[in-house]
Amino acid sequence: MRRVTTLASALLAGALVLTACGGSSDTSSTDTTPGTGDSSSAAKSDLKVGLAYDIGGRGDQSFNDAAAAGLDKAKADLGIETKELEASNGEPESAKEERLRVLATAGYNPVIAVGFAYSGSVAKVAKEMPDTKFAIIDDAAAVGDNIANLLFASEQGSYLVGVAAALKTKTNNIGFVGGVDVPLINTFQVGFEAGVKAANPKAKVQVKYLTQPPDFSGFGDPAKGKTAAAGMFDAGADIVFQVAGGSGGGVFEAAQAAGGKAIGVDSDQYNTADPKVKDVIMTSMLKKVDVAVYDFITQVNDDKFTAGTTVYDLAKDGVGYSTSGGQIDDIKTQLEDYKAKIISGEIKVPTS
Amino acid sequence: MSTSTVAPVPPGSAPSGLRGRLPTSGVPLALVSIAGLVLLLSITRVITGADDLTSSGTAGAALALAVPIGMAGLGGLWSERSGVVNIGLEGMMIMGTWGAGWAGYQWGPWTGVLVGCLFGAAGGLLHAVATVTFGVDHIVSGVAVNILGLGVTQFLSVIAFEGVKGAGESQSPPLDDVATVSLPGLRDPLLTLEKHHWFLVSDLAGIVRGLFTGVSLLTVLAVLLVVLTYFVLWRTAFGLRLRSCGESPVAAESLGVNVYLMKYVAVVASGAFAGLGGAFLAIVAGNGYREGQTGGRGYIGLAAMIFGNWRPGGLAAGAGLFGYTDSLQLRRGGESVHALLLLLGVLLVAGAVALAVRRHRIAAGVSVVVGAAALAVYIQTDVVPDDFTTMTPYVATLLVLALASQRLRMPAADGLPYRRGQGG
Repeated sequence: MRRVTTLASALLAGALVLTACGGSSDTSSTDTTPGTGDSSSAAKSDLKVGLAYDIGGRGDQSFNDAAAAGLDKAKADLGIETKELEASNGEPESAKEERLRVLATAGYNPVIAVGFAYSGSVAKVAKEMPDTKFAIIDDAAAVGDNIANLLFASEQGSYLVGVAAALKTKTNNIGFVGGVDVPLINTFQVGFEAGVKAANPKAKVQVKYLTQPPDFSGFGDPAKGKTAAAGMFDAGADIVFQVAGGSGGGVFEAAQAAGGKAIGVDSDQYNTADPKVKDVIMTSMLKKVDVAVYDFITQVNDDKFTAGTTVYDLAKDGVGYSTSGGQIDDIKTQLEDYKAKIISGEIKVPTS
Repeated sequence: MSTSTVAPVPPGSAPSGLRGRLPTSGVPLALVSIAGLVLLLSITRVITGADDLTSSGTAGAALALAVPIGMAGLGGLWSERSGVVNIGLEGMMIMGTWGAGWAGYQWGPWTGVLVGCLFGAAGGLLHAVATVTFGVDHIVSGVAVNILGLGVTQFLSVIAFEGVKGAGESQSPPLDDVATVSLPGLRDPLLTLEKHHWFLVSDLAGIVRGLFTGVSLLTVLAVLLVVLTYFVLWRTAFGLRLRSCGESPVAAESLGVNVYLMKYVAVVASGAFAGLGGAFLAIVAGNGYREGQTGGRGYIGLAAMIFGNWRPGGLAAGAGLFGYTDSLQLRRGGESVHALLLLLGVLLVAGAVALAVRRHRIAAGVSVVVGAAALAVYIQTDVVPDDFTTMTPYVATLLVLALASQRLRMPAADGLPYRRGQGG
C-alpha cells in the first residue's frame, strides 16, 4: 500500500512539473530569429530589450504579433539584443510581476509590457527597479518616472471603419461584437457608433459583448463569437465589426455563412485570418502596436526616453484602416475626408 | 433534443403541472414536456414579439452549443456510473481540442476528431491509473488532470505550431469543417413558414428547421452517442456490470466482475467523450484549436450530468437547456431574455398557486415573491442589459435544479475508494 501511495505521489508530482514546463514557455530570441531579416549587417547597439507578452503571445495573428513585429523590426534595424517571455491563461498577478523582474534583473532595459493586464505589475516592479525603463501598452494607470504609457486612439480608427460600414450597408443594420465588456473595448464601440451615425444616421448598431469581466473567456471563444454574429445577421445586419480577439474567427465564419461582411481589428486581418474567410473581411481597424513598440525602442536607443503618456492617434499614424482586398476602394476618398477632419480637430470623436 | 432515451424522473417526481393522467416517466414524459415547452415558448413569443425565442437560428445554435457540454456530460456519466468521480473532464476536453487541431490541419477533420478522442482518452487513462490502480483521491487526480491538460497543450503548441503558417503558440492553423447534412426539401419551405410568425406553426417550423437542416455530421454522431450510451449501459450485460461497480464494487467483485477493468474502460471512454467534445469545439464550433477555448465547458458538462440525475436523457436535457439559453443570450439577448422574464414570472406564480393548494406555505411565498419580481422587471423595462443576459444559462440551470430536481441520486459508491479484494 505504501509503495502504491509513493508511486501515486510521484505521478502527480511529475504531472505538476510537466505543467510548469507548459506554463512558462519562453522564447529567447538570441538563437532564433523568426521573421527578421539579416540582423548581422545592422548597426550594433548595446541595447537589451525585454518584452513580456499578453495572453496569446507571438503567433496570435493580432495584438501580440503586432508587438512582435515592432520588436523584430527594431532588432533588424538597430541590432539590439532581445528577450521575449510569454504569459499564460489565468495566471496570477505574481506571475506577471515575476516575469518583469526576471527581465529587469537579467539586464534587459527597457522592458516592454504588452497589454493592460500588466498595469498593476508594471507599477509595482518599476518602483523596485528605478534604473530600468518600462513601457506598457494600452494602459495609463501605471505611472512613474520610468514608465512610458503607449496608448492608442482606438476610437478614431473605429470611427473610420464605422463610416465605412455605414456607407456600405444595404440594410441599415450593423453589428458590433466585443470580446469582454471592459473600458478598453468600450472605446472601440463608442467610436464605431459615432462613425456610423455621422455617415448614415438611419443605420442602427446592434451591440453584443460575449462575456462580462472577470470572465475573460470572451477573447478566446470562437463558438461564442460565431453564435452572437449569426444572431446579428439573422436580425438583419449585413456588416459586423468584431473586437473580440481570438473569438473573432467565429465572427468571420458567421459572416461567411450568412453572406455578410465583417470588419477585422488590430492587424490587417484580410492577410492574417484563415484564407477561407478572407473575402468577407471588408476592412480592418488597424491599431499599430508595431509602430509604437518600434518608436519606443528607437527613442530609448537615442537616449530620448520620455515617461508618461504617448497617444498614437490618426495624426501619428498609430491607428487607421486597411484596404487589402480592395472592397472599400470606392469609398476611400470619403474615408480620407473624415480622417483629415479628425486630424484637424474638426471632428471630435467621443471616447466614452 | 435527443430525448428519445428514458428521462431520469422516478415516478411521482414530475413537476406539479404534469400530474394527473399524464405520463410520469419515460419517453412519453419527455415528449409531453417538449410539447408543453414549445407551446409555452410560442405563447410567450406571440405576446412579447421576441421572435428569436423559437427561430431556426436559435435552435441551430442551441444544438451546436449543447454538443460539447453534452459530450463532456456523457464522459462524466460513464466515469461516475463506474464509481469514479471525474472532475478532470475540462482537462481532457482541452487535450481533445489540441489533438483535433494538431491532427486536423495535417490529415483532415475526421482524423482530427479521432485524434481528439485519443488525446482525451489519454487524459482519461491517466485519471484511471491514478484513481483505480493507485487509489488517489478522485478530486485530487481530476484537478491534476485539469492542470496538466492545460500545461501539456501549451507546451505541445510551442513545439508543434511554432513557425507553422497561420498558427502560433496559442492556436493551431485553421481547420476544414466536417460536412453538414439536412433533411431534404425542408430548408426553404420551413423558412417561409417561419417568416409568417404564426402562432405555433411558425415556432415549430423554426425549431424543426434549426434542428434538422445544416446540422454537422459530428452533431449527428454526438446525438447518436447519447442514445447508444443508454443502450450500452442500461440494456447490455456489460453495462450492468459497469454500473454495478458504481453502486457496489464489493458486490460486483463477489459476482466475478473485474471491477478494475470495468473502471478503466469507463474512465478511458469518459476521456474519449470529453475529447470528442473538445474536437467538436475546435473543428465545428470554431475553426481550429485555440488556447482557452473550452471556457469551463467540461465543468458545465459535469453539472449537466448531475442535473440529469446521472442518466443520458437527463443530461441531454440539461445540456439542451444550457445550450438553448446560451444561444438566446448570445444572439438577441436583451430582447429574448426579457421575454423569458414574462414566462418565468407566470410560471412561478402558477407554481405558487399549486404549492399553496398543497399547503407548502413558505415555498409558495418565495415563488410568489420571485415571480412577481420577474413580472415587475418585465413590465418596467424593454430590454435586459448585457450584464445580466450573460448569466441567463447559469440562472436558468440553477432555477430548474432548485425547482424540479430535488431527488437526485448519484451512484451509491461514486467517488468512494475501492481496493481489489476489500470485500474479503
